[in-house]
Amino acid sequence: MDKEKVKKIVLDIIAEIAPDEDLTDVKPEIRLRDQLDLDSMDFLDIVMELRKQHGIEVPEAEYRQLESLDSSAEYLFPKFEAKTVV
Amino acid sequence: MPEAHRKPEALDGQHYDVVVIGAGMAGMASALRLAMFGKSVLLMEKHYVVGGLNSFFARGGRKFDVGLHAVTNFPPKGARKASPLVRLCRQLRIPFDELSLSPQSFSRIAFPDVDIRFDNEFSFFISEVERLFPSEKDRFQNLLRTMETFDAYSPEVAGDVSARSILNEYLKEPLLIEILLCPTCYYGSAVENDIDFASFVMLFDAIFRQGLARPFDGIRRLLDPVLKKYEELGGKRRMNLGVKRIVTKNDYVERLELENGEQIFASHVISTCGVVETERMLSSPAQDESPYDVGRISILESIAVFKKQPSDFGWEETIVFYNNAEVFSYERPNELTDPNSGVICIPNNYRYPDGKKMPEGQLRVTCLANYDKWVALDEKTYRSQKEICRKAMLDVALGYLPNGKSMAKELEDRTELLDVFSPRTIKKFTGHLDGALYGSPRKSRNGSTRFDNLYLAGADQGYVGIVGAMLGGVAIANNRILRGD
Repeated sequence: MDKEKVKKIVLDIIAEIAPDEDLTDVKPEIRLRDQLDLDSMDFLDIVMELRKQHGIEVPEAEYRQLESLDSSAEYLFPKFEAKTVV
Repeated sequence: MPEAHRKPEALDGQHYDVVVIGAGMAGMASALRLAMFGKSVLLMEKHYVVGGLNSFFARGGRKFDVGLHAVTNFPPKGARKASPLVRLCRQLRIPFDELSLSPQSFSRIAFPDVDIRFDNEFSFFISEVERLFPSEKDRFQNLLRTMETFDAYSPEVAGDVSARSILNEYLKEPLLIEILLCPTCYYGSAVENDIDFASFVMLFDAIFRQGLARPFDGIRRLLDPVLKKYEELGGKRRMNLGVKRIVTKNDYVERLELENGEQIFASHVISTCGVVETERMLSSPAQDESPYDVGRISILESIAVFKKQPSDFGWEETIVFYNNAEVFSYERPNELTDPNSGVICIPNNYRYPDGKKMPEGQLRVTCLANYDKWVALDEKTYRSQKEICRKAMLDVALGYLPNGKSMAKELEDRTELLDVFSPRTIKKFTGHLDGALYGSPRKSRNGSTRFDNLYLAGADQGYVGIVGAMLGGVAIANNRILRGD
C-alpha cells in the first residue's frame, strides 16, 4: 500500500457513486468539490464505501480530511497501513 | 442509545436494523439506501401494491398510474448535475437513463383572462410571465433570485412560512400570484389556499426551472428498478400487512405489533404513514393532537380512455392547470367536488422516443374533493355520484382545451373506458387519514419524533413531488441512521 494506491481507491469509489463524472483529469491537490459535482451526500457515500469495502472508519468530524485526493491520501494512508499490519 | 435494550435475544429473524413502515416513494428510497450499506431492512406495506400515492392499478386490461401526472425535476440539457433528480439517481445508484423519461410537449396555466404556457425551457416561462405581466418584470426577477439562493431541501428550513405572504411582498399583480400558486398547490400543498414557502420553491423549481417528464410505461418504470435493487441487496418486504401498534418504552420504540399479531423488533423505525397516523399507532400517543393536523386536501380524479390520439382533437398540451375565477381556490369544497378548478393531464403528449405513441388516448381530470362527503355515501349513491361529478368536471375541463366543448360528443362516442377514483381511493393507497393527498399541514422536516429511534419520512416531511419524496427518504436514511453509525 502506498499513497498513490489510496488515491486510486478513493477515485474508484467516486467512479462508483458518480458514474456520470469524468475522472480522467482530477487534480490531486485541488478540492474534489471544486472540480467535480460532488455534494455532502456524495461525501457521505465515499465514507460509507470506505467502511464497506475496506473496513476503514472516518468519524464525521474528520470528513473534511477527504476534501482533495492528496488530503485523502495523507489522512487515509495510516489507516490502511494499520490494517495491513494487523 | 442503550443498545442492550434494542436487541432482545433469540428473536428468530424478527429483529431488523431498520423497519420502514410504508412502501411509498420515501419508504422505498430510504429502505434501498439502508440496504445498500448492509443494514438488515424490513419494508412493511399495508396495501398489496407498492408506490403509495404513486402506485398503479388495472382496469379493463389496462394499467393506470394513480398519482402520477408527471415526474417533475426533469433536468434541462446541460444542467443535469444540479438537478435533484440526478442527485436522487446517484444516491440510489440507478442510472438516470434507466428511468427512460420523456419530456413534456408544453403545459398551460389557464385563468379567465390569462393563459400562460411553459415547457421544459425555463427561459420560455420567464418570457411568458414578462409578456403577460410586463409591469412585474423586475419584481419577478427579484423573486427568482431570492428563490435561487433559498435551500428548500435543507432539513433545517422552516416549513410553515406562507408562500402567499412572500409572493405578496415581492409581486404586485394579484393574478400573477394566483397563477404561481395554482400549479404548486396542486402538486404538493397540504394546506388550504396556500403552500409553505419551502415547498413552493421546491415545486416551482421542479415544475418550471427543471421540467416535466414521464416514462412511456408510467410509474412502474421508476418503482421497478428501486424494488429490484432493494431485493438484490437482501432487503425484505412484506405486503398486505399493516403495523397495528408501535410499542414504545421510555424514549424509544421497543417493538412493532403487526395486524396479524406478530411482533417485530427493530433498532430504528422509519414511519412514512404520516405524522398523525404514526402518532395514533403509538402505544403512548401524545395528548396534543389538534383537529387541524389532519389534512383537508383530497381529490376526485377521472380517467377517460378513448380511441383517438388527443392530438387528433387538436390537444397538444401535456398538463393544464385551470381555474375559472380570478382568485385560485384551493380548499376542501363544501360539495362532493369543486369542478371550477383542476388539473388536466394528457399522458399521450409527452415526447416519447422515436415518435412512439400510446395506443389509446387518455384524458385525466383532477379536482378537489371533500372526503367526509364521499365517505358518507352508500355504495349505490357513491357510484352514481362518481359519474355525475366526473361529467361535471369534464364539462368544465373541456372548456380549457382547444375546441374542447365542441369535441365533447365525439370524445364521449369514442370513449372505451372510464374510471374515477375518489378520496376513498386515496385513503386506500396512501393510508392518509381523510384521504389527505399530501398528508398533514403539520410537517416534520428533519423527521424527528419524541422517540430516539423513530423517524418520520414521506409526505409529512414536507418534501414534495416524487423526486422530493424519495430525496426525503434518502435524507432520513443518511442523516438519522447511516451518518451516526
